[in-house]
Order: sequence, then structure tokens, then C-alpha cells
Amino acid sequence: MHVVIINGSPRTKKYSNTDKIIQAFGKGMIQSGATYELYSLSDRKEWEDAREAFYTHTRILIALPLYVECIPGLLLEFLETLHKKEENGTEISFILQSGFAEGCQLRCGEEFLKMLPGQLNCRYGGCLVKGDNFGIRIADDNQLEQILTPYEKMGELYGACGTFEFAEAKKFTGPEKFAFPIRILLAFLFKTVAKKKFIEAAKAWGCTQPLDDRPYAE
Amino acid sequence: MEKNILIINTIPNGEIFTKLKELLNGTQNNMDWVDASVFNISHCIGCNYCWLKNPGVCTIKDDYEILLKKMVHSDAMWVISETSFGFLSHPAKNIFDRIMPLVTMYLHFQDGEMRHVMRYQNKLDIGIIYSGEGNQEYLERWCKRTAINFGSQSLGVFSEDSIKEAVSCM
Repeated sequence: MHVVIINGSPRTKKYSNTDKIIQAFGKGMIQSGATYELYSLSDRKEWEDAREAFYTHTRILIALPLYVECIPGLLLEFLETLHKKEENGTEISFILQSGFAEGCQLRCGEEFLKMLPGQLNCRYGGCLVKGDNFGIRIADDNQLEQILTPYEKMGELYGACGTFEFAEAKKFTGPEKFAFPIRILLAFLFKTVAKKKFIEAAKAWGCTQPLDDRPYAE
Repeated sequence: MEKNILIINTIPNGEIFTKLKELLNGTQNNMDWVDASVFNISHCIGCNYCWLKNPGVCTIKDDYEILLKKMVHSDAMWVISETSFGFLSHPAKNIFDRIMPLVTMYLHFQDGEMRHVMRYQNKLDIGIIYSGEGNQEYLERWCKRTAINFGSQSLGVFSEDSIKEAVSCM
């Protein structure tokens, strides 16, 4: 099985969380005997080849970060340049990832992805949905491995069957909402450990203002 | 107190924008009309600098800053958009994607879901007017969800044909 993977993240490849997810997922796919080619839409020079690959191949996987409840504007712009495929033999699957952790945060975006393939005369091959990935950007190697290894396993399973219509993919999302006691604990962590971590990350990036600064208040 | 209403057009032909102006002519003096279809507005590049490097400021130096400054002082924002795949077209989606400087990196729970803590105190309600074949049901769902992210409310989603209803919700 050969898969065309399109990274729909607008973030440049070097810093793309989605690219790190794709690399782990691709490693798993290869273990199951599948092959893939990858195009990153953050580099507009790859758009022409990505379009060509979309028209030539029948198994497409679009990986993307959730941007304001749906797909990023850049990915939408790319999709607007495609025309419908002539034959209905292509299947498009998706990896949808986000910063917010709960599954319910990604469902509106997922709904759009369910409708999208039909508009390009393709079939929908399912969507691997998971949040809690903001940390990839600021994680150390151990944390990164913890986040990405499950994607490798998913890649192996996808590589074997070519869709996300397997039980492990459904479970992969995790909780739709956190239970009340967990929310209390997380809310405490947001105000303490997470806040400190964000401030440290900001300092490391050269930030000199408070993170809740209001530059346009006046 | 009268609400400050920001109306942003993203459709190059400007027909809905003009029609809306005619319908509202003289009825309200708190409206800020911006034709962003002639602006140079990039997509969001997801750099997170507006959260972690220059809080509240977008690192992309284009015409979007004009909109951002207006959003901070508005109570409602209406975006006029073409449609793609039943959804907004990319120029309008870019306007929403670039809104991230209005929220901070900090997190809290609101109505049982994680949210970013808002940077400013104003509540920016959101309305959509679209041309073309929009998926009304999906657009309404999306608009409601989007408003929740900004601690505000959806004012509704209206097709070009129901523009008078949109006016009644302003």
C-alpha cells in the first residue's frame, strides 16, 4: 500500500508538531510494509507536487492541526485549488490533532473532515482524532517519545488496513471531557505548574512582557 | 450602552457589503466598516509568538493588525465571506485563525471544557454572512463553537438571501 501524506500545518516543517506526528506515524506504517510520500503545505513550493500526487494516487492521508474549530486557512486555500477527481476510487483519511486535550474540542473540525472527501469525489477513510499535543513544541526527548510512540502504533495499524476503521483508532482520542475531579486537579495545575512552564518557555524565547499583557488596551 | 459593531468584508466584489451598508444607512452610528478584501492578510503560521514571545502582538506584519486593534474595542464582529466546501472560504478563515493574540497562553476551565484565558475584557460576539452554497447547519455549529472559544456568543449565520434577518440581529 502506498499513501500520499499531506501535512496541512501552516507551521514551518522544522517546528511542526504535525510533522513530528507524521514521522512517528510513518515509521509505524513502514513496519507494516506500507510506503508513503510526504508533502508539507507550509512550503508553497510543494503545492504543485502535492496536487499532482493527489490526482495520481488513490490513498491520501491529510494530517492537520485544529485551527479555530476547523481546518487551517492555509490548508483550506490549498484545497480550494483542487478539482474533483474524475473517478470515485480515492479514499481520504485524516489525522486531526490539537492543543486542547478533550476529544469534544475536535469534533466540530472532524465533522468538516467527514464532509470534505465527498466534495472532491472521494471517499472518507476515517479520522484519527487526538488533542493534548501543544507540549510537543516544548517537550524534552523523553516527553516527546511518550507523546509520539502511540502514533507509531497507530501508523502500523493504518498501514495494515489503509483506514482508521479499527477499534484502537476510536479509543485513541481519550476522554471526550474530563471528569469533575480531574478538572479540579487540572485547573490547579494550570494556575501553578503549567503557568510556570509557560513563563519559562516564554523567557527562553526572549519574551520580556507578562504573558497577559494588553498591548492594544488603550 | 450602544454596542460597537465591526463589519469585515472579505468578498472582492463587495456586493453584500454595499447592500448591508444601504440597509443600515443612518440607523446606527456605532458601526465600523472594513473592506478587508483589499487588505494584505496572510494565513496564521502557528508560530505561537503572540502567546509566548510578544504577548498579544502578531508577528506577521501585514494589514491584520488594523483588524486586531478594532476587535479589542468591539462588542460584535460580523464577517462577510464566500464559501468553500460549504464552509467559509480561506480569506475569512484566515481572519479567524489570526485572532489568537486576543487570547493568552494561560488556560482555565469554562463550562467543563479547557479554554484559553481571554486577554481583554470585551466580549466579541460573532456573526457570519455568506454568499454561495454554505452548509447552514455546519456553519451555525462552527460559529457557536468559535464564539465559545472567545467567551462570547454566536449572533447567527445568514446567507446572502437572508441579509435582512442578519440586520435584525445586529
